[in-house]
Amino acid sequence: MKLPLRLLYIAVVQVIFTALVTYYLVTNEYHSLAEENVKALEGFLISQKQLELKSYTEIAMSSVSQLRKLFNKGDIDTQEATADILQSMLYNGDDGYFFVYDKKGKGIVHPKEPYRIGQYWLDLEDKNGQKVIQGLINSAQQENGYYKYSWNKPSENINVQKLAYAVYIDDWGWMLGTGVYLDDVYKQLSSIQNEINNHLNNTKQIILLVAISSIFFIFIFGIAINLSHKKTAEAQISKLGQKVIDIQEEENRHISRELHDGIIQILISIKYSLEATGLFMKKSGYEKPDTFIQAEENLTVAIQEVRRISHHMHPQILDELGLSSAIESITADFKKRTNIDVTVIKPDLRKLLPDFINTTLFRVVQESLTNIQKHANASNVIIDLSIQAKWLTLVIKDDGIGFDVAKPRSQDKAGIGLRNLTERVEYHKGSLSIESASKGTIITVKIPTTTFANHFNKSNLE
Amino acid sequence: MSSIENLDDNKKISVLLVDDHPMVQSGLIACLNYYEDIQVLATCDNGKDALELVKKLKPDVIVMDVSMPNMNGIDATEIIKEQVPETHVLIFSMHESQEFVSSAIQAGATGYVLKDTSSEEVYFAIKSVVKGQTHFSSSIAKMLLENPIKMENQKLTTREQVVLSYVAQGFSSKEIARKLDISYRTIEAHRRNIKHKLSIDSLAELVRYAANHGLINK
Repeated sequence: MKLPLRLLYIAVVQVIFTALVTYYLVTNEYHSLAEENVKALEGFLISQKQLELKSYTEIAMSSVSQLRKLFNKGDIDTQEATADILQSMLYNGDDGYFFVYDKKGKGIVHPKEPYRIGQYWLDLEDKNGQKVIQGLINSAQQENGYYKYSWNKPSENINVQKLAYAVYIDDWGWMLGTGVYLDDVYKQLSSIQNEINNHLNNTKQIILLVAISSIFFIFIFGIAINLSHKKTAEAQISKLGQKVIDIQEEENRHISRELHDGIIQILISIKYSLEATGLFMKKSGYEKPDTFIQAEENLTVAIQEVRRISHHMHPQILDELGLSSAIESITADFKKRTNIDVTVIKPDLRKLLPDFINTTLFRVVQESLTNIQKHANASNVIIDLSIQAKWLTLVIKDDGIGFDVAKPRSQDKAGIGLRNLTERVEYHKGSLSIESASKGTIITVKIPTTTFANHFNKSNLE
Repeated sequence: MSSIENLDDNKKISVLLVDDHPMVQSGLIACLNYYEDIQVLATCDNGKDALELVKKLKPDVIVMDVSMPNMNGIDATEIIKEQVPETHVLIFSMHESQEFVSSAIQAGATGYVLKDTSSEEVYFAIKSVVKGQTHFSSSIAKMLLENPIKMENQKLTTREQVVLSYVAQGFSSKEIARKLDISYRTIEAHRRNIKHKLSIDSLAELVRYAANHGLINK
């Protein structure tokens, strides 16, 4: 009852805690793992691009050196021709081109932005305030050659990150370079990042789902366990209650017997002693004094009173003659008391039932008759006790006004009595059912014959 | 206790008093001693002993209590009437419900007096039953008048049930007679009565009936 409920709460808290820890750890791990991966990928992609740029530039440079072999060294025409050729060298659609600036920042080659040719761009800044041309020239002079900045992407006409590789042609004072736009790389990376985030979200949802379903199942199990616990507890209480009633009946029976076989017999013996005294006095010619007669009368009253009490506690007839005789006896009194007609149908045999069944069924009849007298407004009652192959059946049927079986008169002792009797019958492995309508009430008790098989022989055959 | 004077022994009515309470026994004997035509032969306190004493002493009348340990008065009456039929049985009991009275009558008792009636009435009852008449206490007589016992729809007696149980277990009448120490003819009479009361003709049906009612193990 209380304990399983507390365990339930502990289990739920534990599930929530586990879910939170798992959630935290998984998200963290995922994040750092994803970051590392994305970084590595970025590095890889960038280095791929760098290799690409370098090889494009090398191609351009080899063309330049071929041209210089063909033309005279230092010739102005050679520079012009070279610029013309570079101006026309395109790759990768619109975005792959070569550019050349001299060391003063004057534009020499720029196929996509021709207005730059002939102008000086040393102070040109990109949107981040980077002096682009200066930066490129510096990179080219320092061997390394790679330089990153923002530039217009011709195919889409937007400003994006660009990675360039530039070489310096010393004797001409030229900076020759080409670049790739990095937005593709970042797009790729961000799509990967998205995918990772999606995975993470899925994982989060799975953790959440598992936690919620665990809590749900714990609750379901908890409720089921609780219910079954409650049921067993109730069954145990009911069993205990029945045991108490059994003991009580036994005690009543014992006291009743003590009164009947002890006290009453003593009173009777006193009565006969008084009578013997009276006979003696008569024989001796004395008249009985009034006090003597009074004593005899009072004694008779005392005997009747003790008998009444004894009978009320436990009808002896139940033990001596069995159930059907006891039912006959109680219905005879009932008829006299209430003027309600009772028909008793009973088996041809006797003493078949052990005491506990006798007493239980007798109490059912007693309780039913009391209810009928108090509430039913009936004029006929049929009590039918019969034994078939598997069941002993007791039916008590009246033609009264009936009552609502679903809600018995709870404040009334009668309703409670019948419910107690139901439990008691069930305790003895039987069943009690009540059908009631405006035409009357039928109470049916069934007891399996196995509970009393061979009882008669055990107590009557030697 | 026997203070019977002056009278011829064979004119006295011999009585066996069966009651499990010694004080009631002595109280009643003290009263009956004032009636000179009654002789209490012996007393005992249960049905089984009564059976033995009846066979030995052959009393005219048994004054028999009902509630007793070791075979109650009604079952004892039935067996006594079966074995020594000439004995008259007068029930002497606290119980006054119809069921007791009809069971006693069915068992073969011809008188029924309540313990709280006077000893004089007990005396008259003894005198009546010994003459082959019946005697009932006035309240019982009144009850019997209001609700006469219908002999045709009587239940089986304990003895008949015992016989039925043995029959159903497969014993022959001869074997049952030996077991119960009564004559073959009595067993046959019981069997006839059982069949009549249950409206059953065949042995198979008797066995099934007994099995259904828990008289034999199925």
